[in-house]
Amino acid sequence: MTEGEVTGTRSLESFVDGDGRFVPHSRAQEIDANAAATGRVGEVVESSTTTLIAEARRLHHAPDFGAFVRVESDGRDLIGVVHNASTQSSEPNRRPMAYGKTEAELRAEQPQIFELLRTQFEVFVLGYLHDDSMVHLFPPQPARIHSFVFPCPVEQVLAVTEDPQFLRSLLEATGLPTDELLLATLRHALKGRADEAGETKAGQYLVRMGAELSRLLRDDYDRLSSLVRRITSWGQV
Amino acid sequence: MLDLSAVRCQIDSMVADQAEVGNVTYEERVEAALAQLKRWNEDWATLDERLAQSHTPWQTPRIFQGPLAQGIAPPARPERLSVAATDGSQIFPDRHEVSPCFLLNIGYVLLHYGTDDRPLLSSRPTLYWRDEDLFPQWGGRRTAVNRELVGFRRSLLELTELAELAAASQAAGHPTVALTDGTLVFWGLDARPPDFRAASLAALCSAFDLLQSRGVPIAGYISRPGSPELVNALRVGLCPMDEAAECERCPWLGQVPPCAPVEGVSDAVLFRRVLNPGERSAVFENRSRVLQDYGAHQVFFFYVHAGDEVGRVEIPRYVAQDKDLLELVHGTIVDQAAKGRGYPVSLAEAHERAVVRGTDREGFYRHLEEVFVRHDIDARVSRKSLRKRTVGV
Repeated sequence: MTEGEVTGTRSLESFVDGDGRFVPHSRAQEIDANAAATGRVGEVVESSTTTLIAEARRLHHAPDFGAFVRVESDGRDLIGVVHNASTQSSEPNRRPMAYGKTEAELRAEQPQIFELLRTQFEVFVLGYLHDDSMVHLFPPQPARIHSFVFPCPVEQVLAVTEDPQFLRSLLEATGLPTDELLLATLRHALKGRADEAGETKAGQYLVRMGAELSRLLRDDYDRLSSLVRRITSWGQV
Repeated sequence: MLDLSAVRCQIDSMVADQAEVGNVTYEERVEAALAQLKRWNEDWATLDERLAQSHTPWQTPRIFQGPLAQGIAPPARPERLSVAATDGSQIFPDRHEVSPCFLLNIGYVLLHYGTDDRPLLSSRPTLYWRDEDLFPQWGGRRTAVNRELVGFRRSLLELTELAELAAASQAAGHPTVALTDGTLVFWGLDARPPDFRAASLAALCSAFDLLQSRGVPIAGYISRPGSPELVNALRVGLCPMDEAAECERCPWLGQVPPCAPVEGVSDAVLFRRVLNPGERSAVFENRSRVLQDYGAHQVFFFYVHAGDEVGRVEIPRYVAQDKDLLELVHGTIVDQAAKGRGYPVSLAEAHERAVVRGTDREGFYRHLEEVFVRHDIDARVSRKSLRKRTVGV
């Protein structure tokens, strides 16, 4: 019964299990700082050619709806847009319950529940990068599981959205909140341009995308006019 | 398969039988026990003296602190506190499977309150497959390991690992309380060979020694306890024999003895009448025979109203004798139960970490089989096990 010998010399790290979810506070901050430095926002946990699901690095911190993200997978950079995010229990047989407390109170008094929750987000794959330019084709291979997901910096958003092909890709995708997603991505593209190149360039871009949309939706006047109405209601972005 | 309709009749008669015994008479017994508890409320030292001299076939405690019939309100939990808890689970050795090895899985939980430190929730499996694990030799005899021995080894490992975890937490600057699920009294040791007892007790006592030296209190929490130890003490109080109760010389042999009116009531049912939510009972000392070998770490206990039920809390002597540690345990248990909707949240989480479900067990054996096959080792399961997996008509 030698395993029962008590030494009293073990460190807290020695109780970490295989999946390594627990790290002492100081180490957690260090890891978090490293991850924050690389800028990664998530890790792929489910993957197919057209869509992937990633677990957010931090609880409740999925990228915005319609945001462009890049996945580093096997030497290739995949580009996609976030079309859904959700937070749920990470244990299949347990569900969150109502506690009647604020989040701050819960963090102080029920700290374990935040270890049992995870935020996931779904990404629709638009294409991949080849020599920094966007290829509007599905990648030859889906993203590898456990690949990291990064937000696209502005210049990448501009490069990806330069070709209006992404509008067609979104319109043709099934099972997505297409119109909402289209408007959200367009807004991201527009904001990037306004910030980088000024309002005039952004305006010109919007006109170009509007023309493309009217071509794509020429058979669906109601839908087109609804989209245009919503875009014009934005005013200056 | 179970013929439910056949069992149903038996269930009906069982419940009918119990309902008849229970009802009115049971209620009267509880009332009688309550009256006795109140009778000794202030004069508990007299009852304790009587307990010390009595000899009964049923176990009685010693009374460590009175009064008996009054609840003690819980102190507030310290603002900054960490609670360490462990629980264990196992895959029992199965000689019908590819290998007779067994597995222990310990779940670890360390929850920090009042700081923003991340909690620790983890589990550690250990596989036992060596000859000395499967055919341990105790008392000069080599025997195949069985469920009882595996269960015992698990309970011991839960406790020693809890001591290590709580000590590590305290050493890392977190004021810590250690909680374990179930009793601190290892009943199973009683009928074991001396070398087995000695090895187990050495491990057990070193765990208590470590925690005591670090000033970390430990407590075992028993949900829905059924023991009637204190009610047994009240029976001794009812015995009209001079000086002390001597059941072997009971003059009422074959008749209804004077101690009968309180028989059948459990301590928890009794204290449900006495304690308000959060309150604890007086502290009692357990007098199990196995504790004679516990040395300095005799086990004490009290009952606590945990909100929905009256639970039993077992503590070693160094906790019972230290007012601050005792209060810390009381306050922590009540707070933990409130957080866990009636059952200490750290213990519930430790169970979740430790549990090995049926599907895990299946996966474990199928992986074992695969690895055996890959290494060209004969991986045959028994015909019985095979027959269970592929049932033909």
